[in-house]
Amino acid sequence: MDSSNDEALDIIVTNVVATFRTRCHLNLRTIALEGTNVIYKPEVGKVLMKLRKPMITASIWSSGKIICTGATSEDEAKLGARRLARCLQKLGFKVRFSAFKVVNVLAVCSMPFAVHLIDFTKNNRPIASYEPELHPAATYRIKNLKATIQVFSTGSLTVTGPNVQNVATAVEQVYPLLFECQKPLCK
Amino acid sequence: MLTDTGPVAKLYLSIIDDVIENMRELFLDEGLEDRVLDDLRHLWESKMMQSKAMEDFRKNNINSSNFVLQLPANYRQTDQELTASVVIPASQNICSFPVKNNSETLATFSLPAGLAYPVQIPAGVTLQTASGQLYKVNVPVVVTPAPAGQQSVSHPTQKAPAPQPVAVPPHTIHPPQEVEPSPVQATSVTQPPQPMTDLPPSQESSLPQQPQVPAADTSQLQGVQSPPPEVTLAENEPSPQAEPVNFSMTASPCSQLLDFQLGTEEALTQTAQLKTRDVDDILKEVIEEEREKADRLDLYSELSDIVQLDGPADNSDMEEEDGGLPLEENDFLGIINAEAIKVLQEGDGSSDGNSISSSSDSEGVDELANVEEEDPLNSGDDVIEQDIPDLFDTDNVIVCQYDKIHRSKNRWKFHLKDGVMCYAGRDYVFSKAVGEAEW
Repeated sequence: MDSSNDEALDIIVTNVVATFRTRCHLNLRTIALEGTNVIYKPEVGKVLMKLRKPMITASIWSSGKIICTGATSEDEAKLGARRLARCLQKLGFKVRFSAFKVVNVLAVCSMPFAVHLIDFTKNNRPIASYEPELHPAATYRIKNLKATIQVFSTGSLTVTGPNVQNVATAVEQVYPLLFECQKPLCK
Repeated sequence: MLTDTGPVAKLYLSIIDDVIENMRELFLDEGLEDRVLDDLRHLWESKMMQSKAMEDFRKNNINSSNFVLQLPANYRQTDQELTASVVIPASQNICSFPVKNNSETLATFSLPAGLAYPVQIPAGVTLQTASGQLYKVNVPVVVTPAPAGQQSVSHPTQKAPAPQPVAVPPHTIHPPQEVEPSPVQATSVTQPPQPMTDLPPSQESSLPQQPQVPAADTSQLQGVQSPPPEVTLAENEPSPQAEPVNFSMTASPCSQLLDFQLGTEEALTQTAQLKTRDVDDILKEVIEEEREKADRLDLYSELSDIVQLDGPADNSDMEEEDGGLPLEENDFLGIINAEAIKVLQEGDGSSDGNSISSSSDSEGVDELANVEEEDPLNSGDDVIEQDIPDLFDTDNVIVCQYDKIHRSKNRWKFHLKDGVMCYAGRDYVFSKAVGEAEW
């Protein structure tokens, strides 16, 4: 789907964050004592449960809200969330899997060229911002996609967005802009 | 009733004793006979010994089989005399095996398994325990367990100076090492005078044993630092003298022949003057060797042989008891044991709207149907069963308190304290444990 050129850019999704609800109160102490692979954090009031198969870590609150992180795809996140809910159900809670929502997707991508960040920022004000003293990357926010892209001078990108589709679209959108500001050319 | 017991068994027995004694009055108040209490005690002890009986037996075997006797280089010269088998009389049976003199520099052989104490060891032999500590035997010694059933190697040549208080010049060299361990002695050593006559050439063997000496000596000292807890200090007084004297004897210069028939007084006075020169060099060698050996030490095997490695060693029994008893009283423990959970579950009043008892075991379709309830309420057919079978609950359990537990991604580091580990059926009691694991 790279309309700009024929090469394919590898967008690697590194993290998918999702939330869901169990619609019932959860006794964290019971989960902590009986559950397997759990870390109890009473000071914060949550239990971390780690799953191996989809490698995910879930933060479980007593209200029944669960945040599931570490998955590498949206489907995996859902699968992991359901497994988790099943786990809690086995512990004895009347769990109802509801309100599953992927909240955040983090992906990395690498341009085959280096980018001149100052030019890139100049060309794309105010969408792009660059504060080298604060952070070595230029930040490009696409409002309609609600995606944020961080561009590094080496040409590496990290993209965060509400779902994988948005992320892919964001990369495509920003590619031509970056292409203009390639280091060997712009300099 | 229990003669050969390891340090853990000893601790448990002392716990049993304490409990029984404390209950005696209560039992009497209740009107129960003393006999009942004794029955309880016997039952308890027998059950405990049954579960651990193999342990101690195994422990005895392991201990003895790990004894490595290293013969110094010059043993070759004294081949003829020493090929006579090293008689190691056990308490009931006597095993004898020949001394290997094949190797050029060091000859090592292991004591046969099943060896029981007392063990008679000829002079000029370096004993190495399972934990890697070296004990230099310059005088024929008999290694006997302490009355409480201690199993580690005896401190050789202790008895030699003991009967003859000799004014030994204070050892300035290793006071830091000596001072604390000296009050605690590993085992009592009986030194029969007869073997000495049999092995006069062994005295010569002590001459070029200086390279052995460093290893042996600091190891002796360090070994004393970590004595088993149940070691009853049979002879406290001679021990401070024993160590300096021992060292001086082993540092005897080549020119000196130690004839133990003449008594150790001579040796002491003679060696004392000559030791100072070589001691510093020897000490350096010793420290290096000991460091190497220490690296090879395995924490738990050491624990099984010599329990207390840290802290003042003289009251090790008390420490362990104190560590053992409060364990049971603590509310929060790092227990990974399913049994305790049931107790807690019963006490867990608020069920938060869940009927735990009813639904916990029911894996029927009813529950499955309710798993997914999104805006379109899907059926429970989509529910994914746990494909990954949970790792079976092992019997290896550690019950302890924690100092610090740290995790980075999936790497865990544990700093534990005051605990008991049941591993492969055996119990190991520790005051400190450090562990690493990957999840």
